[in-house]
Amino acid sequence: MNKLDFYLFHLMPYPFIPPGEEIESTWVTLPNTHYDPKVGHRLYNEYLEQLIAGEKLGFDGLCVNEHHQNAYGTMPSPNIMASYLVAKTKRIPIGVIGNALPLHANPVRVAEEIAMLDVISGGRIISGFVRGTGMEYYSYAANPSYSQERFWEAHDLIIKAWTEPGPFGWQGKHFRLPYVNPWPRPLQQPHPPVWLPGSGSMETIKKAAERRYPFMMVFAPQWFTKMNYDMYRRAAEESGYESSPKQLAAAIPTYVAETEEQAHREAKPHFMWLFQNGLKIPPYHWFPPGYTSKKSFAGMLGAKVKHNLKEHWELSYEELLEERYIIVGSPETVIERLTEFTDDLGAGIVLGAGGHMGSMPHWLVMKNTYLLAEEVIPHFREPDGKPSWMREDPLGPGTLTEHAATVERPELQPVARLDGSLVETQRAYLEEMT
Amino acid sequence: MASTQTAAVVPRPQNFYTEPEWLDVGGLRVAYRRKGTGEPTLYLHGAGMTRMWLPHLEALSERVDVIAPEHPGYGETEMPDWLDGFEDLVIHYDELLDVLGLEQVHLVGYSLGGWLAAEFASYYPQRLKSLTLMVPAGLRIEGKPVPNPVAMMPDAFFDLIFNDKSNMHQVMPDLESLDEVVHQYGEGATLARIAWTSQYNLKLERRLARVTCPSLVVRAEDDRLIPNETHERFAELLPNSRIETIPGTGHALAVEQPDKVGAAIGGFIQEASR
Repeated sequence: MNKLDFYLFHLMPYPFIPPGEEIESTWVTLPNTHYDPKVGHRLYNEYLEQLIAGEKLGFDGLCVNEHHQNAYGTMPSPNIMASYLVAKTKRIPIGVIGNALPLHANPVRVAEEIAMLDVISGGRIISGFVRGTGMEYYSYAANPSYSQERFWEAHDLIIKAWTEPGPFGWQGKHFRLPYVNPWPRPLQQPHPPVWLPGSGSMETIKKAAERRYPFMMVFAPQWFTKMNYDMYRRAAEESGYESSPKQLAAAIPTYVAETEEQAHREAKPHFMWLFQNGLKIPPYHWFPPGYTSKKSFAGMLGAKVKHNLKEHWELSYEELLEERYIIVGSPETVIERLTEFTDDLGAGIVLGAGGHMGSMPHWLVMKNTYLLAEEVIPHFREPDGKPSWMREDPLGPGTLTEHAATVERPELQPVARLDGSLVETQRAYLEEMT
Repeated sequence: MASTQTAAVVPRPQNFYTEPEWLDVGGLRVAYRRKGTGEPTLYLHGAGMTRMWLPHLEALSERVDVIAPEHPGYGETEMPDWLDGFEDLVIHYDELLDVLGLEQVHLVGYSLGGWLAAEFASYYPQRLKSLTLMVPAGLRIEGKPVPNPVAMMPDAFFDLIFNDKSNMHQVMPDLESLDEVVHQYGEGATLARIAWTSQYNLKLERRLARVTCPSLVVRAEDDRLIPNETHERFAELLPNSRIETIPGTGHALAVEQPDKVGAAIGGFIQEASR
């Protein structure tokens, strides 16, 4: 087993916007007149190319996510992005991390689309579920005070839709569906792996640990990640098992270059764009009322005062490095910092190492990604250097001969009544069959 | 009436706080304040400025018997798990009047409470002697959506609702207090439950014709939160109504001109009960 899995992750920002200090927010109210579709065309295609490269470079997976009506992440439909990646790659797992369940009217749509992707890709899909950020509740006019409830009800419904025979009726509080019966069913059994990326609420961590779902921290200081991992491990113990490192993930944007100096010179402006502008979000957008419980809200405010926590957009570059929101440096430094996450924190999955950061141009992204693959990732691998997915056979037969040799003939054959008798349509062209 | 529920510790505002009395309404412990003599008048507060006996209530209580409960999930009344929308509140207030033994009352509602009063009136018109809506929300004015009060910093919100800022400091929540900030967040969640996705009720356009008691709409001179057209439209839809403007005021008219507001409403109720 490799010590650390590397998932290439993209936010797909649109960085050509006014400075953060001049706008209320990069979300919700930033006028979309700043978006030029011709520029967007170039960006989307470069961004997708950056992810696709991850397969040949030997990353362990490629990840996309869902955000709405903002310049920080322009993937309102992550399943569309995943579909493109599925078509352009062969074997690498693709993580949709995730679909924002409470925002959508019918969770069966998510169950269907993930199952579609899973079947088409030969069982390569990781299905992340998220609540969506607070901002999304303004942008999508979703009621934040039902966010938790709708999330878990949608989750339960989707898992049941994937694992139990349909049709069945769903008689919930938020969803009332007389016929739950999605075609297709997912290829991976009992269902595609589920991840829960989160900001660290006690309730979510506990539920993730109970279900053995990998839990992922996003853009958090290291001490806070550690606190949440400890909470996860305790919750796992209370559920009667010891959690594995492959259940603890963190998104840590990481940039590597030939030397320390070179790395900082190349990365700093783009990280500062990400934190000053991409994450320019007023507190009332982060936490619409009811999005979190009063108890969690009080705990969070208390911690903020106690630890003197700043908003993302107020952090200096030095603070970002010091608190390990980001990692920048020579291969040696990056290996050392990532080893803190594996050895000190017990993480087994990292997202955002290599790849795109903030406002980075294509060529710099590719340089970062190549160098990380060549100089850093092998350090965390078995001696053969293979990514995790190369250690297992793919679920879907890759060729027709494999299919013919390994997949049983379907129990039922397509039939039609021709000239009075029921015949197998796929053999009806043979004279003796009719 | 005794209740087994233990109330959470709720922070007290610096000004105008008074100890509430308590009622048990369908198992929910409801905080309320009551003062004055004469016509019983149920007062429904808006989406904030809770826990206070405000000067306009004092002015009103010089003319009528003011009963001012705090809505479920507001002030010192806890948030019950059954609260999903206006319908739940309408039924709650029907029950509350039964608990108080009041068959008919005068109903006054301010802002969000004005919308709630209009809803109540459309369900139970026979329980009302009169209806007063102060700068109510609840109708659609095309092209003029009401700004979301929590989509801005509190000082920006107070700046928006006060046109005359002389009394504003009296009711500004103490944002240095963590308890108060958390309390405000909780009241925000109640508002989200009730109105985040509804924003207005198109059915009121038809239903308000049922409300035949004398009605008064009190509007501000220039309401920058809920457009004046809303209040004018309410007056058009209520069959037996008139509209009165409090000069120089904005949405916070009750705090800006408490005496004028108290006198206007008190006078109207006295007139309606003759």
